[in-house]
Amino acid sequence: MGYHWDWAVLFRAVPTGETTYLAWMLSGLQMTVMLSLSAWAMALVVGSLMGVLRTVPNRWLARLAAGYVEVFRNIPLLVQLFIWYFVLPELLPPALGTGFKQMHPVAQQFLASMVCLGFFTSARVCEQVRAGIQSLPRGQMHAALALGLTLPQAYRHVLVPMAFRLIVPPLTSEFLNIFKNSAVCSTIGLLELAAQGRQLVDYTAQPYESFIAVTLLYLMLNAIVMLGMRQVEKRARVPGYIGSGK
Amino acid sequence: MISIRRVSKFYGDFQVLADCSTEVKKGEVVVICGPSGSGKSTLIKCVNGLEPFQSGEIVVDDVSVGGPKTDLPKLRSRVGMVFQHFELFPHMTIAENLIIAQTRVLGRRPNEAMDKGLKLLERVGLTAHAEKYPGELSGGQQQRVAIARALSMNPICMLFDERTSALDPEMINEVLEVMVKLAQEGMTMMVVTHEMEFARKVARRVVFMDEGRIVEDARTEEFFGAPRSERAQQFLSKILHH
Amino acid sequence: MYDFDWSSIPGALPFLWEGMKISLEITLVAVIVGILWGTLLALMRLSGISPLAYFAAGYVNLFRSIPLVMVLLWFFLIVPQFMQAVLGLAPTADTRLVSAMMGFALFESAYYAEIIRAGIQSVPKGQVAAAYALGMTYGQAMRLVVLPQAFRNMLPLLLTQAIILFQDTSLVYVSALADFFGAAYKVGDRDGRLVELLLFAGAVYFVLCYGASYAVKRLQRRVSA
Repeated sequence: MGYHWDWAVLFRAVPTGETTYLAWMLSGLQMTVMLSLSAWAMALVVGSLMGVLRTVPNRWLARLAAGYVEVFRNIPLLVQLFIWYFVLPELLPPALGTGFKQMHPVAQQFLASMVCLGFFTSARVCEQVRAGIQSLPRGQMHAALALGLTLPQAYRHVLVPMAFRLIVPPLTSEFLNIFKNSAVCSTIGLLELAAQGRQLVDYTAQPYESFIAVTLLYLMLNAIVMLGMRQVEKRARVPGYIGSGK
Repeated sequence: MISIRRVSKFYGDFQVLADCSTEVKKGEVVVICGPSGSGKSTLIKCVNGLEPFQSGEIVVDDVSVGGPKTDLPKLRSRVGMVFQHFELFPHMTIAENLIIAQTRVLGRRPNEAMDKGLKLLERVGLTAHAEKYPGELSGGQQQRVAIARALSMNPICMLFDERTSALDPEMINEVLEVMVKLAQEGMTMMVVTHEMEFARKVARRVVFMDEGRIVEDARTEEFFGAPRSERAQQFLSKILHH
Repeated sequence: MYDFDWSSIPGALPFLWEGMKISLEITLVAVIVGILWGTLLALMRLSGISPLAYFAAGYVNLFRSIPLVMVLLWFFLIVPQFMQAVLGLAPTADTRLVSAMMGFALFESAYYAEIIRAGIQSVPKGQVAAAYALGMTYGQAMRLVVLPQAFRNMLPLLLTQAIILFQDTSLVYVSALADFFGAAYKVGDRDGRLVELLLFAGAVYFVLCYGASYAVKRLQRRVSA
């Protein structure tokens, strides 16, 4: 088709001269990683808490957590992101809203992206944690209570640690998803990896090299996370434990 | 020590316990038996408040289990319980299983708890397995760890739930040995079991349940010698000729 | 406090409905193509013929490893050139809808392939053996015995994936194509009522997707009963 391949473009200087296109791309990669990791930390904390709430004997708390999951699961991620970024600052008390708008633009984008991905993913983590807890035999809770542990203690020391060991594989796929979903945040101007790819296309007019490079970086991220989680899975394995009979 | 007065329990419309009353005095061993679904296991779980009940009263060491102000965790920490499926915590080593409640509930220091745990492990003959995980032990060994775990709390009485023993006969013996020894040392015990040998050997009384009711509550010799109710006779002939 | 003004929504409803039609069109095409191509991929992967199995595994893993946004960008880049070269379309022709459909279809087929593979594997091996014993060929055994059972088991998962796909169609925003979300954004931007339009769009998606997943849940209960 007469496309002129030119891989050297990556090492050429950007128009302002102080750095190369490759450096742009790597800064995008760094942003993707930072965003994904911080959102993942948030999703784990919030998701575990909600997952526990979904299984507690109190019906109202359980319903509240179920509603939480439905909200975050049934609205597209992009819409959620736009609501966090464009809508929420308007609806917050003026002091907070203005405070947000006076932050550095990148900080605004990052904060909205992190909160959005964090809550979105927390709903999924919540469902996994709930499934993990519910797959444990009922006797485990009874045994913990019979020893005199309080309900929170039973969750903290017995149910949640065991549930997490069982749900490492599905959590791995959620962890991978958060890296992929972070590309959505390019739509609000956050210069993460996908956005840097598009910017490269605009500046260099070499779309194939730019997209191939970005795609390869995503594949690499994917591979690293999988290898890392395989280690976690090995560590989390419980010696001698075979599934769970009710 | 444990007194159960006119306890009834429902799941919706279905009555699982009907007007059950019995008493276990200090140092007594009482065996509860009956066909499956008779409510034995539910009754024993009411004693430490794991199963709520709608009417009646259960008093353990002068504390009313269903009382609104009862500190259930505190009460449970004084009542040892051993479960049908052992319910050791699979992600903790045997030693950790023995320590967790001592440190978290009784506030003992870790090394103090460890000493206590190891002593009990020696008592049930499993010292070598302290660093293993429950999944790596046989059923009988797990059961003995479960007993040790309950004993680690210095309980004032013990509840055993063993309705359908999942153990093979050889393992039953190693577990029964531990239980017989406990009984001889004067531990107050309420035992749900089908092991009539155990009942005959150590139980002061036998409580026979059927369809949520206590049908018979008799001294062991009387129960095995001449059960009054037809149900108990049928049950006994079935189980003894097995 | 923020002053809500919902007045721009009623007048914009026809435009929003046009957008919704685009969202639904993309979803429908991607679900149909995705299930067909996904079934083929799953069969290839389970065929035991290495080149086919490797191809299918590579395809599925590649698409599952890259963000949908990236896939869409690729298709918005490649498809127009492809269509110019092959179909002789004018460079000015608007191929964004076709690009989006192809992108979604090929992307989703990787996810469908995994669901279908699991569904096929959930059918007991004895069923295939029984089909062979009756003299059926591999193709007949799959078509007449295994796939009907597999699809019955997977139906809820396939539908759930369709709901996710419908939500994901909002990402055609990256090509400025006016699907439902794109339309809502445009109206909000034009009237300076982004807050109301975004909330409205979120509410519409929620009602549709919640309703659909509720229906799937009921169906699931009936299938498993």
